[in-house]
Amino acid sequence: MKSIVIGQYIPGDGFLYKVDPRTKLIGILFLLVAVFLLKTTTELLIASGIVVLFFLIAKLSIPRILKGLRPIVVLMLFTLVFQFFFNQTGSPVLPDERTLLNLTVVSIPSFILWTILWRIARKKIRYRFFLLLTYIAGAYAILNLVPVVIPILNPITFQIYSNALEMSVFVIIRLMIVLTLSTLLTLTTKPTDLTQGIEKLMRPLKLIGIQSEDFALIISISLRYIPTILDEANKIMLAQASRGADFSEGKLKDKIKQVISLLVPMFIIAFKRSEDLADAMESRNFVPGKLRSRIHELKFGRYDIVMVIFVLLAFGVSLYLAL
Amino acid sequence: MGIRFEHVSYHYSGQAKRPYEAIKDITLSIESTNEFIALVGHTGSGKSTLAQHMNALVFPSEGAVTLFGRTITSKRDKTIKYNDLRRKVGLVFQFPEYQLFEETVEKDIMFGPLNFHIPFAEARELAVKAIHLVGLDESYLRRNPFNLSGGEKKRVSIAGILAMDPEILVLDEPTSGLDPKGKIQMMELFQSIQRETKKTIILITHDMDLVYRYANRVIVLDAGQLVFDGTPDDLFKRADLEKRHLDYPQTIRVLNAINQTLGANISVYQKTVDDAYQALLEVLKR
Repeated sequence: MKSIVIGQYIPGDGFLYKVDPRTKLIGILFLLVAVFLLKTTTELLIASGIVVLFFLIAKLSIPRILKGLRPIVVLMLFTLVFQFFFNQTGSPVLPDERTLLNLTVVSIPSFILWTILWRIARKKIRYRFFLLLTYIAGAYAILNLVPVVIPILNPITFQIYSNALEMSVFVIIRLMIVLTLSTLLTLTTKPTDLTQGIEKLMRPLKLIGIQSEDFALIISISLRYIPTILDEANKIMLAQASRGADFSEGKLKDKIKQVISLLVPMFIIAFKRSEDLADAMESRNFVPGKLRSRIHELKFGRYDIVMVIFVLLAFGVSLYLAL
Repeated sequence: MGIRFEHVSYHYSGQAKRPYEAIKDITLSIESTNEFIALVGHTGSGKSTLAQHMNALVFPSEGAVTLFGRTITSKRDKTIKYNDLRRKVGLVFQFPEYQLFEETVEKDIMFGPLNFHIPFAEARELAVKAIHLVGLDESYLRRNPFNLSGGEKKRVSIAGILAMDPEILVLDEPTSGLDPKGKIQMMELFQSIQRETKKTIILITHDMDLVYRYANRVIVLDAGQLVFDGTPDDLFKRADLEKRHLDYPQTIRVLNAINQTLGANISVYQKTVDDAYQALLEVLKR
């Protein structure tokens, strides 16, 4: 859980850190729209090059971000499988003699052996994803290349079509760009600045009766308390585990009881905390809705001009390409 | 038997570039009977992390912990039933709010025993026994744990662990937030439990008076390292305690001050206020 980068702030002093959060919010929104306007893989590749450039000028380490994106690998694999099996348009990629998966006396046992080998290797070697790819490639090779000796079942045809290949590359790149772009916003903006930015941007909504300050306060308090509550949940879990509540094993009935033993203290502590926080804020004269001064006022600067020019340029180009 | 630590280190990994080492290279062994150990050290010295190793709640990053003959290393061993080990070492957390959750005190105390598959009727008997052990009467069993005072909650949370009948009892700052009278009551309670049942009790605390008066062994941690393991008498005879962010007990400090200002020669190592008073009287009579 700790390696997730999405939604975190990493302190730094690169270009993006100096851009006003309001500019960044609107700018990234426009860039996201621009990405969805792009239609070909080449355009997307150029766009991802620009994103990488963004990371370089923000002085963020790219390997670390990629590591944090690991949880979405599942989503990518899902896309890949879906495209390969269901998208059957365009020209076939594999030549005809490569499409048959033979199920014979030789190939089935060697396929099983290969699977066992993979299961064992999975426990010993760390790069599981690459191992999975090797396994799939190997399984394909066994079923396709081993000469046909006494077939047991009818061969299965397996064909990849050019559109499936293209679409999956396209979708995966787009997914990565969208995710990294939105990560870029939270990585380079302090949560307090972000909420202040949201508050300022939502000012016009006052006309229809929505208090943007309250909204921003709710966001910043909940963001602030996520780590605290997580920490507390962990402690409660340990306290109950030391009384024999095992959260990993046991029957369903026991498990429900154990979850209750976790939830009740969590709610009680959370309510207690919120009461304490309300008292602390009141004792420092906080009145909801009243005008407050700030230590750091948001100010537009020359970095914002650069950002705005860049975003307009990028958005214009993709709009031109789309039309 | 009991608990044995061999070169145990534990590091928390987080967003920080270097993992934070909570405890470093700790080697010590604890008997399962007849010990009253105080685990001391200033905030962040790794006391709680060490305590959590004692009942397999956390696994050592390096080294090995042996609990009642079962060796625990950084890898999860599927042949070990960790839950059984947790029954043998009862750990009471600092804040009772972390563990109280049932509608009645009785149900809450029975939660532990029932988790270890003790029959319902027997668990009920254990709950009655445990509530007496912590100095509360049976009328508390029917009360709501959330309507109790801080001290009573603490007692109930300790009863919840005692009902599991652990062989070793680990208490994380059981006297914090109690008034002086409550502190003494609580400590007398632990002492009587220890005398009656011969169980080893391990106490995490900041209060040197209590350490000096009740413990028969002190383990001092400083920045995650074991810096002292011996009797309280030996510990407080040392001159470098301030360097370890520790204090001397009140009796020693007061008698030392009297010695210095009056040029008297009272033996300063007195465990209780009464003893100190007697020693002072003796010198004054002379």
